[in-house]
Amino acid sequence: MAMAWQLRLKDGAVVGLPRALLFYELYPFWRGLLEGLGLRVAVSTATSPKLIEAGARHAMDEACLPVKSFYGHVMVLRDRVDAVFLPRLVSLSPGTYTCPKMLGLPDMVRQNLRSLPPVIVADFDARLWRRSLEEGGESVACRLGRSRGQAREAVSRGLEALRSFRGSLEAGQSFEEAASGAAPGWKTPLEGWKTPLEGWKTPLEGWKAPLAGGDPAPTRPGPRRLRVGLVGHAYNLFDPGVNLGLGRKLVALGCDLVTSEQLSEEEVQTESAALPKEIFWSSGRRILAAVTRFRRRELVDGFIHVVSFGCGPDSMVGEIAERETRRSSNLPYMALTIDEHTAEGGLLTRLEAFTDMLARRRARPETPEGSVAAEVTA
Amino acid sequence: MRVTFPHMGNLWIIAKTLLEDLGLEVIVPPLPNRRSLDVGVRHAPEFACFPLKLNIGDFVGALDQGAEAIVMAGGIGPCRFGHYAQVEAQVLHDLGYDVEMVILEPPRGHLDGLLAKIRRLSGGKPLTRVWRAIRFGWEKLVALDEFDRALTRARPVERLTGSAARAHRAAAARLADADGVWATRRVGREGVREILCAAGLEESGRPGEPSWGKPFPRLRVGLVGELFMVAEPFANQEIERRLGEMGVEVLRPLYLSDWVRTHLIPRVFQPGRRRRASEVKRAARPYLGHFVGGEGLDSVGETILFDRQGCDGVIHVAPFTCMPEIVAASLLPEAGRDLGLPVLSLFLDEHTAEAGLTTRLEAFVDLLGRRRAVGGAREKW
Repeated sequence: MAMAWQLRLKDGAVVGLPRALLFYELYPFWRGLLEGLGLRVAVSTATSPKLIEAGARHAMDEACLPVKSFYGHVMVLRDRVDAVFLPRLVSLSPGTYTCPKMLGLPDMVRQNLRSLPPVIVADFDARLWRRSLEEGGESVACRLGRSRGQAREAVSRGLEALRSFRGSLEAGQSFEEAASGAAPGWKTPLEGWKTPLEGWKTPLEGWKAPLAGGDPAPTRPGPRRLRVGLVGHAYNLFDPGVNLGLGRKLVALGCDLVTSEQLSEEEVQTESAALPKEIFWSSGRRILAAVTRFRRRELVDGFIHVVSFGCGPDSMVGEIAERETRRSSNLPYMALTIDEHTAEGGLLTRLEAFTDMLARRRARPETPEGSVAAEVTA
Repeated sequence: MRVTFPHMGNLWIIAKTLLEDLGLEVIVPPLPNRRSLDVGVRHAPEFACFPLKLNIGDFVGALDQGAEAIVMAGGIGPCRFGHYAQVEAQVLHDLGYDVEMVILEPPRGHLDGLLAKIRRLSGGKPLTRVWRAIRFGWEKLVALDEFDRALTRARPVERLTGSAARAHRAAAARLADADGVWATRRVGREGVREILCAAGLEESGRPGEPSWGKPFPRLRVGLVGELFMVAEPFANQEIERRLGEMGVEVLRPLYLSDWVRTHLIPRVFQPGRRRRASEVKRAARPYLGHFVGGEGLDSVGETILFDRQGCDGVIHVAPFTCMPEIVAASLLPEAGRDLGLPVLSLFLDEHTAEAGLTTRLEAFVDLLGRRRAVGGAREKW
């Protein structure tokens, strides 16, 4: 449904991007698009406990942590920018949805937060005709009073950046690296973003090659660092303020990380099509595909599924993934539920216990299955 | 093949009638109770929404009585319900039940899959026969929803607490035995009259006199929210009965038959319903400009329509962590503030305690009564 709004923003006006939710999947596109329209982009500061607290005060109690953090990011931006960008992301690929909360997010933010600057709301719905990322982007441009030519150019610039971003992610780079590498020419550096981490930096050996070849021969785990399959929504995996620095902690514990974001769209499609019923959430598809693929290729020593407390899609997808993993392998699978009350100490204890278990399992590879299972559940 | 299905309010009556009419042996699971809930909670995913947990409890109960197949509805998102059947199949499988899931889903473009499933269930009976079975089940559902509607009118004015409910139970029992469309219609008409009479109401639903100790003119509260929670008394802790016994008339836009009309029958055949749907959407527009799956958009729209009808307040029920209703619940306080309409959102699950819920309802009803007393209330009804 198109919203009939018109907003005149002069060249050089500052548009705020909240650093939360699908920002972690689409940031390069938004930046390319908005800068292509002659606007300047301001990204909200990194997620902090204070920011989450501020957001949680205005959001519903029942909302999940990433939504509360989104509120906080909008509040950071509201006095500092000329307009806030609040896309309504209904669907990013045909036959899928994002999540009901994202469908209602622009309305929730506008109703629950007062004194907002003008907001740019646009529907993106790949299930419908003329509402995909490209066409939605063009209609944003037109409604901001830009010419069709400029719109098209901005969209292709955004898509270009998005492609290079995805490529870097798939090659095993961290989000920070991939995002800043996606558009080298951009002037504003991403302030507050740290230099990439060791474990994320090296493309994992044996990771890309066997998948690309389609050869079922697994790469046997040799003497190497532990490898953890980190699956979940991009905004949970990549936002250290939400997951309390999970990635850094795991790397410090001596693990290499493979994330569900490293799967290409085609790989997700292939895995998904093999299911009796395809998952209709795009994130869920990706998580399930990652778990299936990592398990079949024996690429990881165990899974950590990062779940926001109360996440609807993950409560279903996680259950399917976990049960499948238990049934067809003896890989440990830990669902790590996070919310605004999660304490760093408790998280670290769980991660240490988990990695200790992985290390012990590897030390005794021929343990009969039963005792491993007992160890896992103990 | 012995089949079963999950409970949802009055659904079992139509489902039993329909499936039996198709020549299947039907095992109706025990009505949702504390025990089936415990079973469901133990085996369902921790963060699954409440209806799924009750479903699992129902299924385990029916499978223990010898059911071999489950008829379950599906969906295409974005609400979690669309994946219920898949998760439930896995849970039951891991519990060691060998069960076949027949999932009836809204067809994506082509009817073949759905028709094949119906034919399989009916054992190859001709489609006209299937149609007759559906008609028969449908009549029963409509009649039962009429009974429920009459009950919500009767309860707030009955002299003796429970007399309307007793008449309702008797009528429902006779309805279950009715064989044939005409008998069903007759029992339906009689039942409504009996329920209203039990509370001293004339057939028109006009109250004769105010009952002792109950506010008069009676308060009217709209009940909106997620379909299952609204329709299943066990899940919503019999919220309609509680409110009714406090002397509040509960208006419910969403009965099972309405849901079927809205979702399963193409709109082109029902101009009235289409008008209604777009009215709801238009009413919600200032607050929510897009569907959010489930009944989220309807909850917002119906609340605003209730205000226009002059309701004293609106109660919104949803299962804990329900995504569409979280969106609705974020917007309802703002809508209520703008309209001057008290709105109470209740997120319920297996941890909801009866006393806590009663306290909240009583406080809410007190608030509505006081508002009316000080003159801030509406005279419209």
